[in-house]
Amino acid sequence: MAERLRVGFDVGGTFTDGVLMRGREVLAKAKALTTDDVTGGIITALDELLGSSGVDPKDIGMVSLGTTHTTNAIIERRNLNRVGIFRLGAPATTAIPPLTGWPEDLKRAMGGPELVHIIRGGSEYDGRDIAPLDEQAIAEACRKMRGKVDSVAITGVFSPIIPKHEERAAEIVRDILGEEVHITLSHRIATISLLERENSTILNASVITVMQRAVNSLKQAVKERGIQAPLFIVQNDGSVMSADYAVDYPIFTVASGPAASVRGAVYLSGIEDGVVVDIGGTSTDVAYIVKGFPRESSITVTIGGVKTNIRCPDLLSIALGGGTIVKHRGEEVLDLGPESVGYNLVRLGKSFGGPLLTVHDVAVAQGELDRKLDVFKTDFLTRPEAIRALPRGLVAAAWARIKDRLEEAIDKMKTTAEPVPAIFIGGGAMVVPKAGIAGVSEVLSPEHFEVGGAVGTTIAEIGAYAEGVVDLEREDRDEAIAKVTEQAVENAVRAGAIRDTVEVMDVEEIPFTYMPGKREKIRVRVKGKVLQ
Amino acid sequence: MAARDILADWGVKEFREIDRAALQEITLGASILATGGGGDPEIGLLWALSVLEEGKEILLVDPDDMPDEALAAIAGCLGAALVLTEKPPGGRELFWCYQALGRYLGKPVQAVVPPEAGGVNTPVPMAVAGAVGVPVIDADGMGRAFPELQMTSFYIHGVSPSPTVAADEKGHVTIADTQDALMAERIIRNAAMAYGGISWIAGYPMTGKQLKETAILRSISLAWELGRRVMEARRKHLDPIEEVLSLTKGYRAFQGKIVDINREFGAEKTKGFSLGRITMEGIEEFKGHKATIDFQNEWLTLRVDGDLRCMPPDLICILDPATGEPIRTDIVRYGYRGTVVLIPAYERMRCPKGIETFGPRYFGYECDYIPVEKLMEGTG
Repeated sequence: MAERLRVGFDVGGTFTDGVLMRGREVLAKAKALTTDDVTGGIITALDELLGSSGVDPKDIGMVSLGTTHTTNAIIERRNLNRVGIFRLGAPATTAIPPLTGWPEDLKRAMGGPELVHIIRGGSEYDGRDIAPLDEQAIAEACRKMRGKVDSVAITGVFSPIIPKHEERAAEIVRDILGEEVHITLSHRIATISLLERENSTILNASVITVMQRAVNSLKQAVKERGIQAPLFIVQNDGSVMSADYAVDYPIFTVASGPAASVRGAVYLSGIEDGVVVDIGGTSTDVAYIVKGFPRESSITVTIGGVKTNIRCPDLLSIALGGGTIVKHRGEEVLDLGPESVGYNLVRLGKSFGGPLLTVHDVAVAQGELDRKLDVFKTDFLTRPEAIRALPRGLVAAAWARIKDRLEEAIDKMKTTAEPVPAIFIGGGAMVVPKAGIAGVSEVLSPEHFEVGGAVGTTIAEIGAYAEGVVDLEREDRDEAIAKVTEQAVENAVRAGAIRDTVEVMDVEEIPFTYMPGKREKIRVRVKGKVLQ
Repeated sequence: MAARDILADWGVKEFREIDRAALQEITLGASILATGGGGDPEIGLLWALSVLEEGKEILLVDPDDMPDEALAAIAGCLGAALVLTEKPPGGRELFWCYQALGRYLGKPVQAVVPPEAGGVNTPVPMAVAGAVGVPVIDADGMGRAFPELQMTSFYIHGVSPSPTVAADEKGHVTIADTQDALMAERIIRNAAMAYGGISWIAGYPMTGKQLKETAILRSISLAWELGRRVMEARRKHLDPIEEVLSLTKGYRAFQGKIVDINREFGAEKTKGFSLGRITMEGIEEFKGHKATIDFQNEWLTLRVDGDLRCMPPDLICILDPATGEPIRTDIVRYGYRGTVVLIPAYERMRCPKGIETFGPRYFGYECDYIPVEKLMEGTG
């Protein structure tokens, strides 16, 4: 049987890109305007792919997308669910109630203070109960919530290590509120750090319906076109999860877009460890990749004004792109940017007879550009005389400054002093220096990098993790790691991975400080395959 | 009794109200002065903010305005930083501590003095003062952050931490009335483990007279001003490091990129501290130079090209050159770029008993204490 085909979409702010892949080969590409409902743009791109390639829809084995559905809903406070909020932790934690520090409009969108309950329960780090779970209080609160909530968020103290109270609370909620109310448990969402995990859990609960609708309409559209393949969504680490799993965990898609771009760069270049430099018109994102996945950010991620501890890729953004303005006095370069001419390059850049010197113009003067710019549907140069008139010293100085800026950004993201390979992607990749970059062993700019994000969604790999706290004075370290690994494998399988293909990516150990004894937190990341 | 009544009783007319913005500024200042440790101050800040939201007041008073015979005590937490972020307080813990302390002493405690002007134990006493209804004295016990109960200017100048009261969120109260400070530290830390990782503590009961003679005075104002200026520098795109230096008489000792982090998982781990050493490679005017910084929860010693430049109790702060945001020892990692700022400790921290209690030898270095001013002489 021939290799199954894969279709992938990357939903951007302006365009939705689509690709049709066979193995590593790009069979067709499509570009559609992103629509308000997001889904419409995806369907247009899908039809274009099917039309231009003429493939039999039955040969398609996987459909996947990077999406902004959830992020948009939270930022615009649109179509959010009313959320019943349970925290299991009293008598501890009551000094800082749920939703503390939230923007007022978002607080209101969640449904109001009568839906917020701090219940006796939760665990200590060593497994003892803070208090026995107050089941009656949960039942009572649920009865009052009837008809007032679409979704429930449950967060228990130390649940990432001891989830039993969250699980019991979920049973009670299910009994009273029934199947139609969705339940999010915090230990499935994020790690230690109660308030940020609780925020992440509540946000997740608020976008369940948004994701559900998106998934249903896409499944429908795919089916109508005779495609019988499962649907996958890209999650924040750049791996995919099954669409049904995504409905339960929509918050895992907030960084879906940039993560897909990084994965696309990895896939197209074949480089698994190094830096990805995504150069656009106004800015450049640098990510560091380890074993094919973007490194995670260690700081809190703010979504719609709320602090969360959702795992997101660690991206460094700098104000450097093809349209960045080079400020100069005579032959002396004063500064690069931060302003950019953006899409007005063809009007304002020197290469097109405009008044401003941009990074693009410097590259033209350096003789770096030799092909048409797809984005602008024009030649890269219409006024050669304006470029010829540029002082040689200015061009050289600007070129050196651009190189410095890139080198610094790359160096900031590296984790060792050793030189590493760099993958340059994005529309601006062709207008920056690629030779002799310090700290870099080689610079690659693979083909099809302009649809790298869409390609990135088609890599059929699933990532997952698990955490645990151990006391090394009482437990064996290897056994403890094995236990956490087992849980991580379970999580991967639940997200859609084939069990036999799951492998460990890394094991992290973090000691507890200010505490005698040998306690530490263990975190294991794994990845597995979707297709055999 | 409310804080205003206590102040009226003391005849104090001038004091400062701590509002939301002030809390944010004080917390930023305190995290800079925390020298890389002191726990994540976010929980303390959120707690203090929610105390204000309940309509309670947080009032800051100059130490000179506290009557000699009135009684103050520290308020804060001690234990595992990680537990603090997962199990925030119920809000009554320190109320119980203050009650128990007053009962035990047979005299009410009328003021809170922060144990540290660094880390989580700066906003926490603010929250407590607001919740309990007593004023906060503009002073602390170290002008920075240190890990142990006895590491205070109070102790080295003759105030005992005993009786120290520890409580948890369920109202379990431990009173440690010990003969020496190290035993109090041990009992309270063991109570923390029994409580599930954190002891909420009130201790070092002292009179206004003792406070004036032993505390680091007006250090909360300093943290506040520091936070205010750094925030302003960010808004106006000025150099925040310059603001820190001019306010603290500090030194810009190094600027570099972290190229190695060596965390020790050895025997020292049983002491309950995160231990290790980072190596930085110089950038900009420090290009070609190398720095190493040892840490035990807090940054402890700095060497540049092998030469000692700073040791405890003088302060080492590693700050983001663009934002002035400090980096902590528990989250620092390879590739971070920072400016190393050294700040002389207060003279009250530098007496012989102080050097014995938290100087280089206490932390296991075989060397005598030399003040940072001397070590930095002639380095430009």
